[in-house]
Amino acid sequence: MNLAWLDAFLIFGLFEVMMFIGLALLLHLQLGLARIANFGVVGFWGLGMYAFGVSYVRVDWPFGDPWQFLVCALIATLVAGLAGLVVGWYIADLDIDGALVGTLGFATAVAILATTEQELTGGALGMGGLGFPYDIGTVKENELVWLLVTTGVVGAILFFVWQVHRSPFGRLLIAVGANEPLARSLGKRTFRAKIGLFVVASAAMGLLGALFGVMVRFLDIGNLGVEITLAAMVGLVLGGTARVWGAVVGIVLTVGLFDIVVQSYLPLPREWYTQALPVLREAAFGLALMVVLLFRPLGVLGEMRRDRLMKKLHGR
Amino acid sequence: MAAEVVAGAAVARPQIRVERVAKSYSGRTVVDVDELVLGDQPIEGLIGPNGAGKTTLMRMIVHAVPLDRGTITLRSPTQPELLLSSMPTEQIARHGVVKSNQLITDFERLTILDSLLFAVTESAYEAPHQLFSERTVFERHRDEIERLLDYFGLTDRTAFAMSAGEKKLLDIIRCLILRPRFLLLDEPTAGLPDDVTEKVMDALRELAAAGSTVVIVAHDLNVIWKLCDEVVFMAEGKALLRGDPQSIREHRTIVEKYLGEGHV
Repeated sequence: MNLAWLDAFLIFGLFEVMMFIGLALLLHLQLGLARIANFGVVGFWGLGMYAFGVSYVRVDWPFGDPWQFLVCALIATLVAGLAGLVVGWYIADLDIDGALVGTLGFATAVAILATTEQELTGGALGMGGLGFPYDIGTVKENELVWLLVTTGVVGAILFFVWQVHRSPFGRLLIAVGANEPLARSLGKRTFRAKIGLFVVASAAMGLLGALFGVMVRFLDIGNLGVEITLAAMVGLVLGGTARVWGAVVGIVLTVGLFDIVVQSYLPLPREWYTQALPVLREAAFGLALMVVLLFRPLGVLGEMRRDRLMKKLHGR
Repeated sequence: MAAEVVAGAAVARPQIRVERVAKSYSGRTVVDVDELVLGDQPIEGLIGPNGAGKTTLMRMIVHAVPLDRGTITLRSPTQPELLLSSMPTEQIARHGVVKSNQLITDFERLTILDSLLFAVTESAYEAPHQLFSERTVFERHRDEIERLLDYFGLTDRTAFAMSAGEKKLLDIIRCLILRPRFLLLDEPTAGLPDDVTEKVMDALRELAAAGSTVVIVAHDLNVIWKLCDEVVFMAEGKALLRGDPQSIREHRTIVEKYLGEGHV
């Protein structure tokens, strides 16, 4: 396959857009529907990434890829889901400030563990030995296929989130976010719903972390900074926290615009790429967040439209 | 004839027994009930001046307010006695003890239809893996929802409850659709037009006739006199008197403390 026309930066940029869309969609369920402020997205994502990396590299499996990848990705998903259960249990009945601090603390703990558990994670030196679970030719071809795999996974997350909006579970999450005491007074087990949401969303975040680990093939603790959470959150808020497509639109307008258009296609001085651009990126995201909150606080797509959805679902 | 509050005799309908229950805020006692049985009669009223502790007592029954001391139990002809005061709010509701709210409260992002579907959906369908059960839930409860909304004149099911009156009414309909065994209503008709108030009262009579118990807190005494079979008078956190509506409205203490001379 001749991929000379395809820029390697573009493949990675699109992969990042896909991954952030996935994270923002999951965050949408937590923040947009149930109004749980999860500032620890990077913690669940990073835990999945390192759980995958450690199980893939450190364990001597009696079988090779693709089974090795599948088993390790499953481990990453389960470990992140288990972390979601514990963290969710801890923050479920806290107010928004408590949830924010709790999840941020969890993400910090994951970063510290990844740094200090050097024998397992490689610590600050990083961890190599990861690879694609297939080999179809050049690195670029493998990366392109991985982009398609990730797109498929994110497509599945999008379908799940889409269906959640159309299901009693989604309505329960919206009710929890809107008025939890009232929901409880109607006999709803809101605590269980929040825990269920946290487990599912955290597990999927962990899976996305594993997919990222394969794409970069080298795990670096520098990836565990707040930038991951910030990008997912800014994209979601910009697009509209309450809408499914808000996550997609917002991430395309932020990560897509910056990581693909600005970084790959604008004629910027070469020295900017190492120092200035990463800082500019965070500044631009912060500015975008301020502008949106000032002029369109509900995001580009605005408030959710249950009236339209109910008409569509039930014809009245 | 009004009488001092005493435990009611057992009857064949759900009863709530409140024993040695107290609640204080910052040293001020707002509820201090030694013994009170709600549910001697199908529909009972709870009246008293502002600050008498009526709303707090109702909230304590559904454990929206924790008790400082005492116990609250549910007795029912069909199941063993339940200690409500040790249960979380949602479990109490699942045992059929449901309360409407004094203040206007709603799920702002849910439509009227959504709100009622939410109330009636069984927990089994409200799980992450139940992504395709919406149609099942809707088909199962469609007739009941439509009957109630038609009856109360909320014709646009997919609209949001906009006015305070609509939200109040929706709160009551949410309670009714749960078919509660024991329904507590806090100022249910405040802000409702007269014709809707009449419909609410008829619906409550129907619920009581079907074997449920209804307890109403209201400052609109016309509702109390018209609807209730028995009335409890509260003041300063205590249940002072109970009796039939006629005896209560003529009782000297109540006229002096609450109704005012010339009320009757």
